[in-house]
Amino acid sequence: MAPERGPPRVLAVVVPALPLQRVLRARPPAGALAVVSEGVVRHATAPALAAGVRPGDSLVQARAACAELEAVPLDDAADRAALRALAEALLSLSPVVEVAHPGAVLLDAAGARLSGSEPEAAEQALAERTLALCSDMGFRGRVAVADGKGVALALARHAGRERTRAAPGEGALALAPLPLGALGLPVDVARWLSALGVESAGALAALPAETLAHRFGAPGAAAGRLARGVDPRPLVPFVPETFPHERWDLEGEVGVLSSAEPVLFAAKRLADRVAARLGGRGLGASRLRLTLFLDPRGEERVDVPLARPGADPSLWLAPLRERLAGLRLPAPVCALDLAVVEAAEVPAEQLAVGDRPEVARALDVALSRLAARLGEHALFAAEAADRHRPEAAYRATPFRRGVAARVAGPGSGDGAPGPPPGRPTRLIVPPRPVVALGEGGRITSLRVDGATRAVLSLAGPERLAGEWWNEPFDRDYYRARLEGLGEAWIYRDGRDGRLWLHGLFD
Amino acid sequence: MGAATQQREVLEELRRQIRRMERRPARREGVLACGRPEVEALLPGGGFPRGSISSLRGGPASGKTFVALSALREAQAGGGLAAFVDGRGELYPPAARALGVELARLLIVRPEPARAARDAVLPGLWAAEVLLASGAFAAVAIDVPLRDVSPARAEPLLRRLRAAAEKGGAAALLLSGPGDPAIPAALRIDLDAVRLAEVDHGA
Repeated sequence: MAPERGPPRVLAVVVPALPLQRVLRARPPAGALAVVSEGVVRHATAPALAAGVRPGDSLVQARAACAELEAVPLDDAADRAALRALAEALLSLSPVVEVAHPGAVLLDAAGARLSGSEPEAAEQALAERTLALCSDMGFRGRVAVADGKGVALALARHAGRERTRAAPGEGALALAPLPLGALGLPVDVARWLSALGVESAGALAALPAETLAHRFGAPGAAAGRLARGVDPRPLVPFVPETFPHERWDLEGEVGVLSSAEPVLFAAKRLADRVAARLGGRGLGASRLRLTLFLDPRGEERVDVPLARPGADPSLWLAPLRERLAGLRLPAPVCALDLAVVEAAEVPAEQLAVGDRPEVARALDVALSRLAARLGEHALFAAEAADRHRPEAAYRATPFRRGVAARVAGPGSGDGAPGPPPGRPTRLIVPPRPVVALGEGGRITSLRVDGATRAVLSLAGPERLAGEWWNEPFDRDYYRARLEGLGEAWIYRDGRDGRLWLHGLFD
Repeated sequence: MGAATQQREVLEELRRQIRRMERRPARREGVLACGRPEVEALLPGGGFPRGSISSLRGGPASGKTFVALSALREAQAGGGLAAFVDGRGELYPPAARALGVELARLLIVRPEPARAARDAVLPGLWAAEVLLASGAFAAVAIDVPLRDVSPARAEPLLRRLRAAAEKGGAAALLLSGPGDPAIPAALRIDLDAVRLAEVDHGA
């Protein structure tokens, strides 16, 4: 017999007064401030409330109550973006996340039970981690775990506690004391019911379902089901579309910044948030862009290549520091924006036996620092190329720790044919001209870099030619042992007969 | 409940101990073999000391790169990573491969010509310092044109390099020419082109 499938366990996290919290996130503890929309106060800070400002007041009324009130216009797009950013970060805690505007995100809490501990402890742990992540993202949240998203959302919004949990099957009981408004009923229906003496979810749950459907239509029936704790609707998965970026306007909070160290400090805060969002998607950044907005105008962009994709913000700081250290700021910085411009899936990497995570991490930090200061192309691993032209017989490929670790023992090669014998350890690019001196058609000495050196032995030639379709070359290579220098790799160009020093057997 | 708490505490203590062990610097003791018995026979301890600088000094084709690459191969054979800081841009990887160096596990650092034009030495020495101090590499060969630096300027840079090698535990092999400033190294080897030519030059 198949086990009975109960309603989905859902964790709802609500950010109360999201528009206000979003504004305050980038400011110092504000004085009297209100978020205003269409001339009406929507949210107000504690000092404003203490001064008599009330949500719902007109701005004129509010200003009359509090003359120094700062009014910030509601920015719905920014609020939605902030909520999506939070949802993105929460993807690290649950595979399915739904954005429930205004100000809420829903998580599939079923996975919490897989953690091995008791369901109650597991859900509590999930709730704690959710609140912690909210805090990392700069928000104060409230959470509720219950059967179905409607129940969880109603409890998170209206239970008035930071954490609420309704055990499986006890949704109706938890909802019972909540007002009708918590069930999402249309205002006129709620008013009707109130006039009839039905003022709580518990009272509504006691009414016959058919009566509600008959009297109030679909909204009434849905509210009745919700009041009885029945909500089988699945979550609508949120899929982020763009790479994350986070911005911080410094002016209000800390003033402008003029040197690299405080800029780095500010960037760290942004890095934590960006990394949380990126990590939730199983992605790692391979290139970051820090944009510094200058006061009064202008901007500086700092591109930061990373040695390998990652979502660990502490690994981003070393290369950020390298790039910022060499930056001359023409004006103070009044805002920062940290964006991921390239990302890749972070491969699940298995450390080799004997590998220590600390060492792997140290390698990542070192590579990122070098890439940031010297440029990405300055670090590479060589790979054999099947070309006869000596200077093209290898190509640079990215040095990847994972690849490096997977290669078997020494001498295992990389699958390419082995190199021809007798190649110098140093290649001189471009080759340097050599003048041959001799007697009776025999070369006795060579003039290299202005110095004449006797030829002690000469081996060769090895003819290398080809690439007629592109840049044809035709060279006879000799290995010449020169007095006071050692062995040199010299070729005679078949096109004009000139001699060139191309390598040293150092 | 009490047993569960105790178990958690024990686990936490074990985690702490593991973290402590992992934090310990990557000290590597002893010497790094060179892989060429004829050269090893000449070295005290039979190899290059780990955690310090060994200077390989010689002319342009004296065999110092050959010796350094052989040591890097040995470092890889021991399961470590190797790096070559190629400040002159002359390293020829096919020859390294012919000597048995695994190219996929050899990090080559070659400062871009445009960046290096202003000062070819500083980026190279800085890169070497970062690699040595990281503790992620078993051996790092450093080839930068030290001749372009005055002894007064070179000294503090090389001192930093030595400190980095001590910190990371890697064998640092510093390649230099006859006219380069003296290097404060634990081991100094002067290579003679003519005599080394007697040794089979590999490849």
